[in-house]
Amino acid sequence: MDLPGGASFERLVGALHAASLRQQVLANNIANVDVPHFKRSDVVFEELLAEKLSARPDKKLPLKTFLPGHMPGGSPVPEPRVVKDRSTTFNHNGNNVDIDREMVLLAENQLRYNLFVQQIDHEIRMLRIGITGR
Amino acid sequence: MKLGGFDISASGLTAQRLRMDVIASNIANAETTRASFENGRPVPYRRKMTVMEPIRADFRDVLKGKLATKGVRVTQIREDPSPFKQVYLPTHPDADENGMVHMPNVDLVKEMVDLISATRSYEANVTALNASKAMFMKSLEIGRQ
Repeated sequence: MDLPGGASFERLVGALHAASLRQQVLANNIANVDVPHFKRSDVVFEELLAEKLSARPDKKLPLKTFLPGHMPGGSPVPEPRVVKDRSTTFNHNGNNVDIDREMVLLAENQLRYNLFVQQIDHEIRMLRIGITGR
Repeated sequence: MKLGGFDISASGLTAQRLRMDVIASNIANAETTRASFENGRPVPYRRKMTVMEPIRADFRDVLKGKLATKGVRVTQIREDPSPFKQVYLPTHPDADENGMVHMPNVDLVKEMVDLISATRSYEANVTALNASKAMFMKSLEIGRQ
């Protein structure tokens, strides 16, 4: 099992941050549904993480370093990025927010967030059992 | 501490409510022939429209690759320049020599459609706000005994 601060725990926290940021982005899209020429944004995180994982043959994240003598490994978990979709138009006024799609993404993101919280909570619970024996 | 998405959804609620207020004003004044006076002649009510715009984030956030807009706001309430309706009502106190009365350029059907659109957008923002709240409550469960 990974201790808090381990690679898998860090990945979970990174995913939780990404889900929290995506919630803000989707809320912003929904708030601007009636604004002419507004273009929707989204968060890329899963793709970046998959790219980082597949870059190595053993499918593992690079090492974390904390002393100057350590070999460089780069950041273990990628930072989530906000990207704007300028290529599409959904409404007659140049706005490309599809409210139905945003609502679905909102629900999906909420479930994803709950999953990460549950998983982090589970890791901490396991750790507590390991420490206290109950 | 910054709670993700709360202020964004709140700005959407504020903007949509203001839009509904403006629509309510248009509907209430659909028959108002004396909104103001020009050279002693009554001028009817002009239909009002809201102009919305995203709230832009500061440069530092954009540079960091964070969200470039943080919600929505109404920047101005503009008047509709379209011509007034002319109705033949010779007994009306504001009728001219030919018995014609200038009526507001408010189209009730258009207002009702706009009202429904504003209501639905308001509800969408409420849903987003509830989702943010549920997520925040869920994160409080981390590490609970």
